[in-house]
Order: sequence, then structure tokens, then C-alpha cells
Amino acid sequence: MTLDQITIAPIFPMWLIFLLFVFGAASAILQFFLIRRRLGHSKALIISILRLGAILFLISFALNPSLVVKKEHRTSPTVAILLDTSLSMGQPGQTGKASRLDEARAFLMEGQNPLLKSLSEKYEVKVFELGESLKAVEVDELARLKPGGVKGDLNAALQELRGKNTLAVLLSDGHLKWDSGQSNLPLFTVPMGNPIEYKDLLIKTVKAPTLAFRGREVVIDVTIKNYGYTGLTLPVLLKDGIKLLTAKNTHIQVSPGEVTTSLSFIPDEVGQKNLSISIPQQFGESLVANNSVNLSIKVVRDKIRVLMVSGNPSMNYRFMRMALKSDPSVDLLSFVILRTPSDILNVPTQELSLIPFPVETLFSKEIKNFDLLIFDNVSYSLYLSPHHLESIRDFVREGGGFAAIGGPHLLDEGRYAVTPIGEMLPVRSVGKEDYRRDSPTRVRLSQAGTVHPLTRLSLDVAGDGSDLLSFWQDMPPLDGINLLEAKSSSAVLLETVDGTPWPILTVSNYGKGRVLALATDYSWKWYMGKVARGKGNMAYLKLVDRMVRWLTKDPGLDPVQMTLPENPGSIGKETEIRIKLREGDLAPNLRSPVLFSVFSPEGLKIESKLKPTEQPSEYLGSFLPQKGGIYKIKVETQAGHLEEFMVIAGPLESLDAAPDHEQLKMISSSTGGKYLSNADNLLREIEGDTQKRGSRFIEEKRSSVWATPYVMAIVLGLLVSEWYFRRRWGLV
Amino acid sequence: MISRREFLSLTLGLTAGLLFPGPKLSLSASSPQFFFAQLKYRGGEWDPNPDFVEPMIEELELRTSIDGMKERRVTTLSDPDLFFYPFLYIAGKYEFDPFTPQEREMLRRFLTYGGFLFAEDTVGAKGFGFDQAFRREMKQVLPDHELKRLPADHSVYQSFYIIGNIGGRQKVNSYLEGMTIDGWTPVIYSQNDLSGAWEKDRFGKWVHECVPGGEFQRSAAFKMGINIIVYSLTSDYKKDVIHHPFIMRRQSL
Repeated sequence: MTLDQITIAPIFPMWLIFLLFVFGAASAILQFFLIRRRLGHSKALIISILRLGAILFLISFALNPSLVVKKEHRTSPTVAILLDTSLSMGQPGQTGKASRLDEARAFLMEGQNPLLKSLSEKYEVKVFELGESLKAVEVDELARLKPGGVKGDLNAALQELRGKNTLAVLLSDGHLKWDSGQSNLPLFTVPMGNPIEYKDLLIKTVKAPTLAFRGREVVIDVTIKNYGYTGLTLPVLLKDGIKLLTAKNTHIQVSPGEVTTSLSFIPDEVGQKNLSISIPQQFGESLVANNSVNLSIKVVRDKIRVLMVSGNPSMNYRFMRMALKSDPSVDLLSFVILRTPSDILNVPTQELSLIPFPVETLFSKEIKNFDLLIFDNVSYSLYLSPHHLESIRDFVREGGGFAAIGGPHLLDEGRYAVTPIGEMLPVRSVGKEDYRRDSPTRVRLSQAGTVHPLTRLSLDVAGDGSDLLSFWQDMPPLDGINLLEAKSSSAVLLETVDGTPWPILTVSNYGKGRVLALATDYSWKWYMGKVARGKGNMAYLKLVDRMVRWLTKDPGLDPVQMTLPENPGSIGKETEIRIKLREGDLAPNLRSPVLFSVFSPEGLKIESKLKPTEQPSEYLGSFLPQKGGIYKIKVETQAGHLEEFMVIAGPLESLDAAPDHEQLKMISSSTGGKYLSNADNLLREIEGDTQKRGSRFIEEKRSSVWATPYVMAIVLGLLVSEWYFRRRWGLV
Repeated sequence: MISRREFLSLTLGLTAGLLFPGPKLSLSASSPQFFFAQLKYRGGEWDPNPDFVEPMIEELELRTSIDGMKERRVTTLSDPDLFFYPFLYIAGKYEFDPFTPQEREMLRRFLTYGGFLFAEDTVGAKGFGFDQAFRREMKQVLPDHELKRLPADHSVYQSFYIIGNIGGRQKVNSYLEGMTIDGWTPVIYSQNDLSGAWEKDRFGKWVHECVPGGEFQRSAAFKMGINIIVYSLTSDYKKDVIHHPFIMRRQSL
């Protein structure tokens, strides 16, 4: 069958074409009257008609007429079968014995008249797997398909199938990405699973901060969804490893429905908290893996609480106090021993402003509320009993910081050696005369000091272009120093220059805490020495700041910075971690190699990659998580190491696998298809639909009229004929 | 012609210099955490009470946990070691020559960045030579700050003793004055001649009588001196929350 018609596509506006037409007709009529007297009426009429014809033909070029030829073709109908293979299709189907995917396969291939076979006899049938993407599969591959991956994108799939197929059949439980909208391709949906019999409890969402402050309440909102558990009261548990932090009973009122509850806890120590939220398994639950969720919260300090005890009023105390007080993030409580028991008391006590030193309260009860303890030239034996010293040691062992500032009483004339304080200090006495105030001495940076964050403060504070080594050597000499030796487990960062290199600044770890010994009571001269040279006070303030932050494990001081991806990682997708090293002020020969390791939730080291980025001292680490859980990421350099934790959601975590047949009904109705669960009915409906629509398509051909030589011949013929008659009748 | 005042100044200065020469210590020699560094200036009389240091340090060591040096250091505003002196002391009776711009800049930097200056007018009356010259100079050194009467709850009155009576050789003022920068008072000024009340001769006798309060006034002067020294080493430590209610209770007794 052929449908022909002429269409026009004017190349000028129609009014202009009309004007040209009127002008051409008028000129032909005028010519007729002009030549009629010479040639007579009939001859003039012939010539004028010929010219008018040629002009009109030429003007009608502007209308650009085209000849449209339509041809209808009949085809054999094509049916696309979409088999949903997303993760939820692995859940129990109608019978509860086989999975939904198994039942979908059986629906297509089993029974007296297998649907796939019946369809193939009448139509061209193509089978597709609808998982993360649409993928064509052969019939014999169907048995090998496994459920997995995220929800399929049905809109994208229909877009791809449109025009190539007459209709599509979808076998799914309804867990699909679908934005309601029109589709040219009718979709017949076949539901899998049984929404009435389906029973499950799942933790649908968890809203928790990624950052929390120690000592401040953290609130976590947990939304629980249920299918088939009306009237149930169940506990929601928040755990840190196996330790239960809190639990809250939640009552379920409607099914299916959601209920949100809030859990709260107060983190008591800084660091990464790897937590889990869980609900106990209930009888008849289809899926248990979605009853728990892992989360990781970083706990930091809001303020660093420092307890400083000074053995006597001194310049060292005043300048250190000034530095600590100038830092708004430090909450300082200090005690200065203004008089010793041997000092005379020549006035009534009410004339003294001295308060009793609350040693018992501080060192037995309150010590755990501090982050850092500073002993500034304190003779412990006068004030502290052995159990106070043990309490201090336990405080550090559990993660606290301890700084011993020098002076004649730093080691209490050797008495510290046999105490818990002596055990944890990074230095030991070399004899009873452990303090010297005879000749001032300068300090220099040790090899360890060049890379340690505590002493690496040249470029940002010196501001005079000096390098790190000369920056420290230019510091004013110290009048008094303690004569100590460093323990093998500690690192000497600063040492004296003249004669025996006595350690001045020594650090070490003790248990979970950190310890520092500054073996001088003249560090304040580093402050005034810089001021005297007109270089401000930043060097000293920064040194004290770094001492505090290093001792309290401030992550901002870590030589390694790690940036985890904003969105949580998922299984099978490469996860990238950005790593930045604070080595910008180090000479290239002091820069250290970087080791990047990733450990699975079971603690096993897994394959990972590390490559430098275009930015200096920046790297990109990556790994491919194979399962859900909390992964440990570790970066090691010579200057230090850093560990972070990352939650990779498990495949079934938060999975809501309840069949959503309402969505299937909506999809079929909006695409012009039908929602059917019976194979025979489906076959009948497909037949009816293909007949109604008819399997045809129309081929359309369009050709320009002026492109044909006949039209051009007519125009030329008219013009030549006119010229011939004009010449014959003596007008040319 | 030399004036009478200049003659007296010169004689006293020479006598002090010959009999009790100040130690010429430099930074290369170590020193205890606390010592007096007395400022020597041009004109006037820079050393009106040359023997105040030893009695004061003796009392300081006897009553507090502070170890001090019984010898003072004499310095000038052009001394580069000025910044390492914990307690700068200036005293006098008469007007002195203006500081040079370099000296003023040095003192400004010293006081702005944590140094401490205790100044004393020892003449025993208000508004005379040293008082006028010192106020003039401090206006130049710290033009954005004023020498003001320190309030009764200032830390200097509570740093060791709870002070109600300033004491001194003369009872000129019942208060101290000071210049405060961001909560810290780097300049404290007295007109009661505290050091005159502290001073003993070589035989251990008081050099001056304290009028009109006698020995009670002298005792108060020592307490005030100790408080000023403790303040210079602890700043506003006594303003910490933990001390406040305790001091309030003691003051109400």
C-alpha cells in the first residue's frame, strides 16, 4: 500500500511568495497589452501565457514542494522478556521454598506449555537480564543467572528496548527503579514473591553523626520497618564491639509500617568508635542480615582539659600558663605550690590566699576527667602518696597525656625512679645530681626531631626563611637543664649542643597514652629570646600548642591526613582514599616512603593500590571491598602512622525485600500493559495485544519536486517556446 | 655649677657603686628563676634604696617556695639581655632624662610581650620629680594604656597574702597603680617606697623608719612586695575559678 502526497516547505515567507506571484502575473498581463497591437490578440495571448507559465513555475520554486511516499510494511511481532535479577529476587517466592528468581525461571520454562516455548512459536522472543544494567541472555543461560546487585533501572531498560520490540514482559518482585511516566512499549508485569505471607524486620535507616564530642551525648535515630509483626515489642541494641552501650524497647503498632526510635550514649574517650545497631531475630523472619547495621563515629574533644601542677611560682609557669590560656580550645586548671611545709607562716591563715592542694580529689577521683597532666618541677614526695602516683600511671596507660617539665625537682632527686612515674617517663636519672645551672647551653634538633610533628615548626612560625635545624640552634641558650638519659623506647627530639648531648625534649608512648619530658625550667627564654629579636612570640606558643596536641593525640597534628569518600563504599566498587602527608617543610631527603594497607573486617590484609597524585605529598589509595563490614585503613610513614575505619554496607544490610506488587501494577497500567500472574492469561493477553496493535511499520520517503528533470524540462520548454514565437513573429 | 640635687645624686650613686657594686652578670652566666633587675637611667637618682634586695629575698625564701638571688642585676634599656629578666625594677626620687626612642621601643616590646616592671617613687610624696617623669615616659611607651589605680580585687592583692594594707616607708597611697593589657598587668607602680621599708644596712638594722605605722607598716610592705613578686611569676592565677570562692570566704572573715 502506497500513500502519496505533496507537501511544501517554503524557503521564503508566504507573503513574499504571494507578492512575487502577483508581480509576475501583472508583468505577463502588461506584456500582453503591449504586444497585442503589433501581433494581434491570439499571438500576443500565446506568448504571454508561455511567459506567465515560466514565471509561475520559477516563483513556485520558493514553495519547495516535496513528494512524500509512504509505504506500510508488516512484520513478525517481537516480545522482550525481562527477568529481574536484583538481590531481592534471591528471597523466598510464593511457595516459600524456592527463590523468586527460581520461580520466575520456572514460570518461563516449566509446566505443560512452557510460556517461553509458546511465545517463541508465535513471536520473535528476546530474553534480557535486568540487573544493574540490561543484558541480553540466551535461553540456555537462564539457569545460570543468580540474584545480586542493586535494583534495576526500568526506565533506562524500556528506553533501550523501545522501537525494537512490540511489547515486553517483566518478571519481578517489584524492587525496581521506576519514575512513573509514559512509555511507547507496553509492559506486561508478572509478580514474583508473596507480599501477604512475607514477614521481616529490618533496620531501614540510621541517622548518626560521623563526628562526636567526648563527654557529650550522641543521639542516633533508628528507623525500623516491619512486615507482619503487629503488636511486637522488641529491643533496639547499640553496641561497641560486644559491649552493650544502650538498649531501648520499641513497640510496633502497624504492619507494614515504620517506627523510629532514638538511642543515645556519651562517648567517654576520643578515637574511632566502631558501633553496631541490631534488633533480635524474630520467629518467621525471611531475612536476618538486615537486622543489624554497622557505623563508625569519630570521637574528638570539644576542649582539651589540662591539669598543671607547678612546684613553685616561676617564669616557666607563667609563660606556659600564658600559652595555654591563649588557646581557646584548652581548659586549664592549674595549681602552683606557693609555699612548702618548711616555709614559715608568720600570719594568721585567713590572711593567706592559699588554698589546700586537693590531691586526693584530683589524683584519685577527677584525674580521668582530664586529657593532659603537666608536672612542672614538682617534688612529688611532699604531696603525693604512692596510690596517687599509680592513679597517674593508670591515667596515662588508658590514653591520657603526661608532661614532666624540668627543674631541680623534675625527678625529685632520683626518688621518681622507683615509682610509677619513673616507670612511664621517657627519661631516667644518671645520678643524684640530676640538675645543672652552671653554664647556659644551646639545643639542637635530633634526627627524630626533624620529622616529629612536635618540633617541626620552622616554616609556619619562624617566618624568617631559616631552615628547621638552624631555627632550633638559634634559640636562646638554656640556663638550667636536667642531666638525664633517654630510655631506649623513647625518642629524643632536642638535645644540648655543648659537650655531652643531654636530652632536652624526649617523648614516648606509654600504654595508650603519650609522655613527654622537657628537661629544662628555662624554656620561657625561647619565648623572650624570639621577642628580643623582634620575631614575635609564635614559636613558643606553637611549641606549647604542639606539645599539648601531640600529648592528647590531636588528629590535626598527625603527619598523615586521610580523607575518606563522602559516600559510604559498597561491595565490588573500587573505594578511593585521599592521603596527604605534612612533609611540605621537609627536605626531600628526609621525606619518607608511604605504606598503605587495608584490612578486611576479619583483620586480614587485602589487596590495595597507592599512587601519587599531581599535588605534592598527596596520594590516592584504593581497594576493592568484597564483603560488608568495617575495614581498617592504615597509612605508615617514617614520621608517623594513621588508622581510619570505613564502613562498607553488606549486601543485605538495610535490604527491604518485601515484594512490591503495587509498583508492578502501576508500571503495567502506565505503559499500556497488564498485570498478570497466570501464564495462560498472559499468553492470551499478548496475542490480543499484538493483533490489536498489528505488527507493522510505515516507511516514509520524501523527494523534492524540483529535483526531478521533468519539471526543469517543462520550465525550459516554456521559455524556449516563448523565445521561438517571439523570434518568428518578429519581436526579437 | 652643679646643683645640690645633682651633687647628692652623684655622691649617693658613687657611694652605692663603690660599696655595693651590682653584679655584672651577663646571659652567659646562669641565674635562679627570680632576681631583681634594676633599671639604671640617665638623670635623677636611679638607686635610692641600694640595700633592699637581700632582706626582701630572705623574706621571700623564708615564706614562699620561690628561690631567689640575693644580688640584683643592674641594667639599662639598651641592654639586649633585658628580655631575660623576670622582674624589672625602677625606682627614684627625682626627675630623670627622657628615654630615647630606641629605649622606649625596647621597653614597649618587653612589656607588650610578657615582661614585668615594678616602679617605685621613693620620695614619699605625690606629684614630684620621679612621679612626673615616670608617668610621662609610660604615656610614651604604652600610649594606648593608662596608669590606673588597681581595683581591690586585682590578683596582686591576692597572689599570696590577702592584702588590705599596702604598707611602705611612707603611707602615700592606699593603693597601687598599674597598666593592664589583656588581663595581665605588666606595669605596677607604688608611691609608698616599699623598698625603703625593706632596706637593711650591713649590720642588719632597718635603714628607714616607717611612718606613721611603724613596724606594722613595714610588715605590710613585705607582704605587698611578696605579692608583687608572686604576681609577676603567676600572673592572674588567683583569678582561676577554683580559687575565687575560697578567697571570697577568707575576705568575708
